[in-house]
Amino acid sequence: MFINYEHENHVYNVSVERRKDQYFVTYDNTEYKVEADEIKPGHLKIKLGDRVIKCVITKGDKDKFVFVEGDVFKVRNIELTGAKKTKKKEKGSLNSPISGKVVSIKVKDGDKVKKGDVLMIIEAMKMEYLIRAPYNGKVKKVNFKENNQIEIGQNTVEITKEKED
Amino acid sequence: MDVIESHVDNSSKEYKENFANYEKFVKNLKDKISIAAKGGGEEKIKLHKSRNKMLARERIDALLDPDTPFMEFNSLAGYGMYKDRSPCAGMVTGVGIVHGREVLIVANDATVTGGTYYPMTVKKHLRAQEIAKENNLPCIYLVDSGGAFLPMQDEVFPDREHFGRIFYNQATMSSMSIPQIAVVMGSCTAGGAYVPAMSDETIIVKGTGTIFLGGPPLVKAATGEEVTAENLGGADVHCRESGVSDHYAHDDPEAIHMARNIVENLNRPEKTQLDVRKPEEPAYDIKEIYGIIPKDPRTPFDIREIIARIVDGSKFHEFKALYGETLVCGFARIMGYPVGILANNGVLFSESALKGTHFIEMCCQRKIPLIFLQNITGFMVGKKYEAGGIAKDGAKMVSAVATAQVPKFTVIIAGSFGAGNYGMCGRAYGPRQLWMWPNARISVMGGQQAAGVLLTVKKDQLWRKGKEMTEEEEKAITEPILDKYEKEGNPYYSTARIWDDGILDPVNTRLVLGLGISASLNAPISDWKPGVFRM
Repeated sequence: MFINYEHENHVYNVSVERRKDQYFVTYDNTEYKVEADEIKPGHLKIKLGDRVIKCVITKGDKDKFVFVEGDVFKVRNIELTGAKKTKKKEKGSLNSPISGKVVSIKVKDGDKVKKGDVLMIIEAMKMEYLIRAPYNGKVKKVNFKENNQIEIGQNTVEITKEKED
Repeated sequence: MDVIESHVDNSSKEYKENFANYEKFVKNLKDKISIAAKGGGEEKIKLHKSRNKMLARERIDALLDPDTPFMEFNSLAGYGMYKDRSPCAGMVTGVGIVHGREVLIVANDATVTGGTYYPMTVKKHLRAQEIAKENNLPCIYLVDSGGAFLPMQDEVFPDREHFGRIFYNQATMSSMSIPQIAVVMGSCTAGGAYVPAMSDETIIVKGTGTIFLGGPPLVKAATGEEVTAENLGGADVHCRESGVSDHYAHDDPEAIHMARNIVENLNRPEKTQLDVRKPEEPAYDIKEIYGIIPKDPRTPFDIREIIARIVDGSKFHEFKALYGETLVCGFARIMGYPVGILANNGVLFSESALKGTHFIEMCCQRKIPLIFLQNITGFMVGKKYEAGGIAKDGAKMVSAVATAQVPKFTVIIAGSFGAGNYGMCGRAYGPRQLWMWPNARISVMGGQQAAGVLLTVKKDQLWRKGKEMTEEEEKAITEPILDKYEKEGNPYYSTARIWDDGILDPVNTRLVLGLGISASLNAPISDWKPGVFRM
């Protein structure tokens, strides 16, 4: 999961992943292995490499105050908007985003596809629009041929979603 | 305000390829600019200095407050034109800070064909004056020019936007209480003599500065009188006898010092106040833009990734995020100044144009400067869209852009094609400044489309005569068109002809926009008066 927080006007993007008892924290392309125990509510014992750090977190109105080894850090989790919506779209609809011409088809019926694979390229208004697989699966049917005209909203490729186990 | 969440994966192969590709664009740009900045070259520079004269750029450096930025315009004007005999169009122009206030500077570079005016030199001078007029900036002319470039007189002398317009502008700006100051640091011959003569306050340098309508050779030819340049129009003549100049300087540094004293005493009005905050760097590395702009210009990308790297703290208050999604509109801050941003995220549909119009209306009412980030392949075409009235919706946006009274700034960050250029505040719509990125392309339509249109027209003509075209004949029509569009759509072709104010390394975009907004606040922002919107 991604956490974004603000401290002294700087936004930090941190990715946190939990594997068994450890947390893998990635910041600025560096991964840190962290163990953390909550001794009592708001009191944490954190093990970072050989270092053991104790810290206390108190919640303010909007901000959190983190007391670490005599220093106090004011941090704030920030809500993020805007680009989230496009992310959803990038994951992919199988419908054409625009009326145009099919210039290239990368798959055929029966092919296995992985999430993010390019299935079809549509050209319109001097731009190329890539249709990508929104999930892993198998191509059931390609609805168009190269050089076909395609209208906005038409289904490009039908995919049977792979069952998640 | 909310921070834009970035989804750029800077470890991906695609990103790295884009980045490497863009670094080439930027290197190419920097190389070109550094060559142009050398003006007439080593030999000419040596000769110039041997006359105890400072170079145009040294004069500007000395004039400006120490450690303040200089926003240079058209540093590649004339690039690839006139057999490259007029690098930088023989002139340096820009906005800088003197005694804490912005001024507009025009400095002739005498190392480039004696500082004479080629057609692009005239255009560059007039463009600088236009910037001064729109932004209410005092003008300082550092004059060192032999006047019009005589072999091209038909392209520099007679027309409305030619040499004479320079003096017309000086008179009209003076009447608008925009101070006109000339520092004569070299020749001011013939028409050029009017630059100091038309100024409110003029300085001349003893020994190098001369002002006369006709130089010694012309005087000899006309009347037989023999006279030296210094005795004909030097500092002593003009400061003691004629009164053409007001201040007498012994050398360039003294003249620059006097010019600073003049600016110190101008009593300029207070600047327009906006709700300004402390500037804040974007939350993401600006340079990541290099990896975001796709190598293939046909690949779409999310414009919010660019906005996130231009605005303060990457904070963006988006407007109508779910409607007309191909045009992203929203409020943000750049270097602390409030701005309204319109940025393309695909082809313009009716909804996008309506949303843009609504957004511009708000900015005009609230008096918030507008920033246009152009990456536009046009308004959507096709029967459905024409019947839906895209022409009138596009017209609403064009009308709002044209009448918007707030300072407007345009950056062409990728494609600029067709009517999309109009709706997104192209050159014709009076942005205070228009900049391009080195990957940009600009033309009425794409080369492929233009070739396709012309081919269809030709084929139809032949078909009526009962003839058909061979593949070679088709190629003979399309190839020259493709070549032409390739050449003319290039940003260097554009910037050489002053269709823009310069090409920017994307990492400087924030700073340059901030300087532009700051300069624009020297002029008041009036109330908005829109035209008739076709409904």
